[in-house]
Amino acid sequence: MKKNILYSVLIILFISLVGFVLLKFKKEDSIKANTQYVLLERNGAMAQMPEWPDTKLNASKILKAINANPGDLKSHISMANLFIMEARATGNYAYYDKAAMKYINNVLKINPQNFEALTLKSLLFLSQHHFADGLAMAEIAKNINPYNAFVYGILVDGNVEMGNYDSAVANAEKMMSIRPDLRSYARASYLREIYGDYPGAIEAMKLAVDAGAPGDEGTEWCRVQLGHLYENSGDFKSAEMHYSIALDNRKNYAYALAGMARIALSKKEYAKAIDYFQQADTLVNDFSFKEELVDVYQLTGQKEKAATTAKIVIDEMNKNATTAASDENIGHYADRELAYAYLKINDYSKALEHALAEYNRRPNNIDANETLAWVYYQKGDFAKALPYIQVALKTNSKNPVLLCRAGLIYEKTGDKVKAKDYLEQAFKSNAFIPESLKLNSEQALKGI
Amino acid sequence: MMPNNFVMKIRYSNPFKKIVLLITVLLLVQCGFAHSINYALQDAPVNEVVWFYFALGFKHIIPFGIDHILFVIGLCLLSTNIKTIFWQATAFTVAHSITLALSMKNIIVAPGAVVEPIIALSIVFVAVENILLTELKPWRVLLVFLFGLIHGMGFASALNEIGLPAGKFYTSVIAFNAGVEIGQITVITAMFACIIIPLRNKTWYRAGIVYPLSALIAIVASYWSVQRIFFNG
Repeated sequence: MKKNILYSVLIILFISLVGFVLLKFKKEDSIKANTQYVLLERNGAMAQMPEWPDTKLNASKILKAINANPGDLKSHISMANLFIMEARATGNYAYYDKAAMKYINNVLKINPQNFEALTLKSLLFLSQHHFADGLAMAEIAKNINPYNAFVYGILVDGNVEMGNYDSAVANAEKMMSIRPDLRSYARASYLREIYGDYPGAIEAMKLAVDAGAPGDEGTEWCRVQLGHLYENSGDFKSAEMHYSIALDNRKNYAYALAGMARIALSKKEYAKAIDYFQQADTLVNDFSFKEELVDVYQLTGQKEKAATTAKIVIDEMNKNATTAASDENIGHYADRELAYAYLKINDYSKALEHALAEYNRRPNNIDANETLAWVYYQKGDFAKALPYIQVALKTNSKNPVLLCRAGLIYEKTGDKVKAKDYLEQAFKSNAFIPESLKLNSEQALKGI
Repeated sequence: MMPNNFVMKIRYSNPFKKIVLLITVLLLVQCGFAHSINYALQDAPVNEVVWFYFALGFKHIIPFGIDHILFVIGLCLLSTNIKTIFWQATAFTVAHSITLALSMKNIIVAPGAVVEPIIALSIVFVAVENILLTELKPWRVLLVFLFGLIHGMGFASALNEIGLPAGKFYTSVIAFNAGVEIGQITVITAMFACIIIPLRNKTWYRAGIVYPLSALIAIVASYWSVQRIFFNG
């Protein structure tokens, strides 16, 4: 009798708890659906950017239009666009990508074939490193409107990330034929760089810079990329000049500051480099600045600072990765970045786990292969590293870091001829190579 | 006007056009199926795919699926009768196979925020029930079947993290399921070998084994329940 009562209590308790779980989920889901995203205030130097007053004004105008007519799809698209631009300007992708996705989904709920919404959604997927999803969605958008240059740009990016380089080239050509502008020149430049044609990449990026208005974020981003191409070609003077121009045109532009930091590093001015990276880090939420800071701290013997900064990077990236796992709609996959971050703190098993996760998502991509190869190399599994570095080299990229890594892997696997060839290629242009990699590569070359 | 081949000064031959087209088609298929794609195994031979997903399914039970292990142990503790365990295990297997396939096909979509807490609660339920019941009641098999449906959705979310190679949907899902089954059978065999067969005739079997083990499972699963309901947001 007593057991029967207890059994009834157990059933009632179980059903109640399941009901509670369902209600809690429904409530949270409805909160999520009704979340109102607003433009966040910029602080410090970011608030002094020339476009900020216009951005604020536009946001309030669009919001008014949406409130007046919630079915006004154009305004929802404009709002999504504005948030995407703001994410790029501030680096706050975690917030603004979600905000933009909400407005895009509002449009797609009413019109699932809306070309602009599909295009922006694919762009957001790429921004969050959901490359396959982004590419698939861009293909759908292209089928709706095959005469839009922007969608071909997304197809270029998606195909590059998925390692479909021939397809990326074909889409870039199509994009160029529809609209030769900053975006298409920049993509042409990137593709040329991937295929190892630095002079050609510089030429295309110059055209991209000339096609944009000085001071615009897009133009200055291209200028910084131009500087970076010079850096990788060993022409530090030109690189520095372009970073300086970017900083003149767009005060405190974080990516230009990071470029200046690398120039300082090449001159072994470590304190200056740290200062630049720190400035960049306070302006834009981009982990790459902190990662580079970790390298400089390690280089200058500041082990504690290096460890603390590396931990911050890993924690933040893991937080974003958790979002990606729990919300299929949005959330940043950062496995490649996490793999490198774990390498910095010598956690090889975690590094391998993330490198494999990235590789499994896009096994044809040269960067994913390079990362996996480098993790295996660091673990001492040189034979395992070899096939992946071979794939990473398939486009004949002349990236000096890739060449050094390839040289070191070939050296350890006994192919001295190839090792010498890649290491000599890496050093030929006197390009910027992180100090520890440079030292190891120089030693290996001497040994050969 | 830019020359046609501006993008690449050297026009690279395009021998992979068909492959690109195929990938595009597969990606569109992915939208329909909505399970993630495992590109690394896209072109792998069938035996490699089978082995990969079989091992994945097995590892999802041993050693990584402690919650599923506790559930299966819970099923074994109700009675020492092999038939009792057989019927429960069969109900559980059939149920989770159904929801695993349906979830992977995106026919049913259950969020992790709902599935994971209910999995933990199902373990608590089975463990407490072991203390209250002494023999297999018909509704226990039905309950285990219902719980199996929920566990299947949990398996699906784990499988979705890795993805399936396009065109090898059934091969990989069946292989994964087989791995899960072998994992479960291993747990049941271990229970029989280490606990049930050597100790089932002892007079203190229920008081000394079933009650404390079930209580321990209930406590651990209650902790998971609280954690998954309140702290996994």
